Amino acid sequence: MRVSLQWLNEYIDLPTRDPIELRRAFDMLGHAVESIEVLDVDWTSVLIGKVLTVEAHPDADKVRVTTVDVGTDEPYQIICGAWNFDAGAVVPVALPGAVLPGGFEIGSRKIRGVESSGMICSEHELGLGEDAAGILVLDDGAPVGKPFESILELPDVVFELEITNNRPDVMSMVGVARELAAWFDVDFREPDFSLETVPGKPELTVSISAPDGCNRFTAREVRGITLGKSPLWVRERLRKAGVRAISNAVDVTNYVMMELGHPLHAFDLDTIAGGTLDVRWASAGESLETLDGSVRHLTAEDLVIVDTDGPTSMAAIMGGARSEVNDATVNVLMEAAHWNPPTVMYSSRRHDLQSEASKRFERGVDPNLSPRANDRACRLLAEIGGGEIVETQIDIVANAFSPVSVNLAESDVQRLLGDRFDAAMSAALLRRVHLGVTAAGGSLDVTVPTYRPDITRPADLIEEIARLADFDTFGETLPTGPAGGLSSAQGRTRTFLATLRGLGLHQAVNLPFVSAAELAAFSDVVTQVVTVRNPLRDDQSKLRQSLLPGLLRNIRENRNRGAGAVGLFETGRVFYARPWQDDERVPDQPERLAVAVAGPFGVAELGSPARDADGVTALALLTAVARQMGLNLVRNAAQPPGYHPTRTASLELEGAPIGFAGELHPDTAAGFEIDVRVAIAEIELAPIVATRPPIEMVPISTYPHVDFDLSFEIPRSLAGSDLVEATSKASRLLEKVEVFDDFVHPESGERSIAISYRLRASDRTLSRDEIEAERTGFVNAAASLGARLRGES
Amino acid sequence: MSEENTQEPPIDLDAKLDEMLLELRLPDVADLSGELERVANSAELAEFERRHLGPDSAIAGEKRRLGQMANEHRREAGRRINEVSRELQGRISVRRAEIETQEQAGRIAAEGIDVTLDHQRFPVGGLHLIQQVIDEVSDIFIGLGYKVADGPEAELAWYNFDALNTPTDHPGRLESDTMYLDYGRPEDEMLLRAHTSPVQARYMEQHDPPVYIVVPGKCYRNDTVDASHLPVFYQIEGLAVDSNIQFSDLKGTLAEFARQFFGPRTRVRLRPHYFPFTEPSAEMDASCPSCDGKDSTCRLCGGTGWLEMLGCGMVDPNVFAAVGYDPARVTGFAFGAGVERLAMVRYGIDSMRHFIDNDFRFLEQFPG
Ligand SMILES: [Zn+2]
Repeated sequence: MRVSLQWLNEYIDLPTRDPIELRRAFDMLGHAVESIEVLDVDWTSVLIGKVLTVEAHPDADKVRVTTVDVGTDEPYQIICGAWNFDAGAVVPVALPGAVLPGGFEIGSRKIRGVESSGMICSEHELGLGEDAAGILVLDDGAPVGKPFESILELPDVVFELEITNNRPDVMSMVGVARELAAWFDVDFREPDFSLETVPGKPELTVSISAPDGCNRFTAREVRGITLGKSPLWVRERLRKAGVRAISNAVDVTNYVMMELGHPLHAFDLDTIAGGTLDVRWASAGESLETLDGSVRHLTAEDLVIVDTDGPTSMAAIMGGARSEVNDATVNVLMEAAHWNPPTVMYSSRRHDLQSEASKRFERGVDPNLSPRANDRACRLLAEIGGGEIVETQIDIVANAFSPVSVNLAESDVQRLLGDRFDAAMSAALLRRVHLGVTAAGGSLDVTVPTYRPDITRPADLIEEIARLADFDTFGETLPTGPAGGLSSAQGRTRTFLATLRGLGLHQAVNLPFVSAAELAAFSDVVTQVVTVRNPLRDDQSKLRQSLLPGLLRNIRENRNRGAGAVGLFETGRVFYARPWQDDERVPDQPERLAVAVAGPFGVAELGSPARDADGVTALALLTAVARQMGLNLVRNAAQPPGYHPTRTASLELEGAPIGFAGELHPDTAAGFEIDVRVAIAEIELAPIVATRPPIEMVPISTYPHVDFDLSFEIPRSLAGSDLVEATSKASRLLEKVEVFDDFVHPESGERSIAISYRLRASDRTLSRDEIEAERTGFVNAAASLGARLRGES
Repeated sequence: MSEENTQEPPIDLDAKLDEMLLELRLPDVADLSGELERVANSAELAEFERRHLGPDSAIAGEKRRLGQMANEHRREAGRRINEVSRELQGRISVRRAEIETQEQAGRIAAEGIDVTLDHQRFPVGGLHLIQQVIDEVSDIFIGLGYKVADGPEAELAWYNFDALNTPTDHPGRLESDTMYLDYGRPEDEMLLRAHTSPVQARYMEQHDPPVYIVVPGKCYRNDTVDASHLPVFYQIEGLAVDSNIQFSDLKGTLAEFARQFFGPRTRVRLRPHYFPFTEPSAEMDASCPSCDGKDSTCRLCGGTGWLEMLGCGMVDPNVFAAVGYDPARVTGFAFGAGVERLAMVRYGIDSMRHFIDNDFRFLEQFPG
């Protein structure tokens, strides 16, 4: 909403014109100032002049020689190329020495031998509009010899306000003035609604066949107008309001919409077929050419105004081409109707036709304003376009609206806003915005005018009281709540994220929308997909079931940007079309962790870069995370879709599968246009953070340890962890076990694994015999798995 | 040895002793000092020590001869030998210490590294800036007595709109604004939550008052990606419900938050606004951290001195009614901040795109 201060002067005497103070008033009223535009007089030495003579140029066909009286002793002789005026016209004249917008200087010169001093200006040359075709012809009464700006409302300040959806009443100059009057506690003047009419009844009959779409239809005939350009003051105010001037009949509807907030429509009365108008729902298949020249295909949810030839206007959205006012229009039907807000909202969006009018209707125009808005528009049209106003107004009321009454308890106000808000204070504040207030014991009876649809309940009144009291007058206090804190799982999640960070990974955030191909990358059979009904892009309409596609996109993009090493993790929800355990009405949406690493990753030294990430990296990362979280992940070779079939493990926690870690399958990598190995892993988050595993301290032995290493030749197929586990189980004295080599002979293909064992007893120094028995136990346990002792060191 | 003993002369003991002592072929320590000074390193010192104190040295030889001496001479001869030996050992020790000091200094000088270069590099990771802000804001409110709650992102329209007093015909419900899902029973309209506020309703359904929670999380709107919009963004929501919460509590709580997040000199103001689920509703502005309202040309605040930070208000009684709270017994406030907005203001980030691009050149700028 653009608000000109000069225009506001018509309704209110502001106690200040300081833009800073006014900005604060608007902001604290809840109508945030988005911008402040200062409009200045952008020229010098432009006077109002009267054209005395107009003659042909002796040597040039396209220009004429004029003399113009600007109040000086001698008239100025000015050569002018515009033809839209004659002797007697009052015009703006830039005298020699004048500077026009853009720094354009006016002088005296000869044009084909004839002296020309100064210039007669067009609207465009003065920066007041786009019309450059002709010069700006002023009202005959404009004071000749006075500066041109004296008849303009300049300088001016235009505030651009953000009006919230609940306040349609403030989408008007009158509404803004009413708000400022309440804020500064000054008087507010209504515009002049009085009419001079000619006796007569309308020739037209109007009916409402769709009372669920149209609450009221008000109209009046204005006969015998002269269609043309609006006077400068109307065009200037519209310009400041951000509305393009078109013709006096149309400008009047826009002017009154800006002034009162009620949109109107002007029909060419003589094009209405059959002398009747009806408001009804459109039928599917009907169409209408709107005044922008487009053919609109209507549905049964669109409301139309029809005559005997069918639809002639889309109610509240846009008038029809057939009944539009045009150069030949003489008789006008000025319509001010009240439409059901949701109907306008859905229709305007369906047809992508949002306008100043639809914006106001969908928020809720005052249903009792139609007759007065209609009066005001008719008055203005007669004033600037001539014509006679027919006495009888058509006013069909399908649904009547009365002011709402709300009872407000003093204690309810004080409970929320504080003790200073007694009934007297509340009443005084509410009266400032013209609410009817009667005190009744400890409460107030408040009557709310129909232009305030936002107030229907006590809570609405409390908001109004707080607003008018100025939010800045409230103190700052703190409630005394209970103790706060993170839950155990939330605390463990923090540890979990910190661990991933500590391992050198960066956290990523990706959109959860994926394509069908990306969904299939990590599933054999894509099922239980949740689909977005209205996606941003049709090829990104599925909700992800894995976080990996997003991370792989990140890896590709970062590598394309030149990043060698990319180590990322992401936590987030994936979605399945099956009931969620916490609320079976919504789809399953478990949280996951995914990791993806490509390029050199880990500790690096000069001359010895970190090793390139691969399946080993993913296994190591997940193991490290699990250890930090106090968990033991069990790994088994696995071939999940999308993963490298011989470099990937399934991960189990307490016997339950939680995900996979390993390497991206080369084919999948190619699908994502990645040309290096990628370490990937994806696990369920909940089991990792759910419980803090119980820890009981193991006593620290003071007796010495014994270390020895065994090297086994083992079958290729044997899982190393099985060998470690089997040998470990054979011991009662084992303190620590660690595999320190896994070697496959390049020629023989024989595989050997070297394991380091540490033995220690809690209560004694181990004897040679005990150690030997342990060692034999390890060797025998290994032998039972087909592993043969290879050597010892 | 026995032969020597038998030859023991009984005469003129003193003269004999002097003779014996003179016969002791012991080095002159003073003479050796010069040689010792010329010893240049531990190896030469070891050689010196071996030559003068080792098994082949003169001292060792004389020690061996002691056995052949008469008892009465042996003591004095032994004393002399030990004296010389100890003196020499002492000088060697001093020299050893000198040499070791020199050699240590040499080694240290030789093994220097260029400490300005990264000879070894450990990987350094980082949490996403959004995560950092969420954790920081959560911690501020934990300090004020709040717990952290969450809820589903694929959500019932009832929780996202109806429970929050949103009119049936609110434009926010349109498909142009909110993303809907094809899932579930037709009467359970399903969407991707447009704000974190549905968690308010869910939490109040499951917990009795008092309630003090913050809710960080992902939200979804039907917006295409540009500098100021993302279809997926993060909010952090707050809700306080108790028997005696007033409007000034909302203001004080947000002021405390702003001081902790933006700095101790930060001021806040509340400006009336409109949200369906709060009344009164407000927007919270924070004083501009860049100019503090003192620069009319400030690019961050546009010269107004204020930055719009979040939406807030007193919980609408209809919301309490929807979740089964008695609006006559409890009051409360709620607020919701855009996490990206908080980060953009604090770090001068120019586009929302950075938050989902996962560009390492961005991620690495915000270690934490
Ligand atoms: Zn600033």
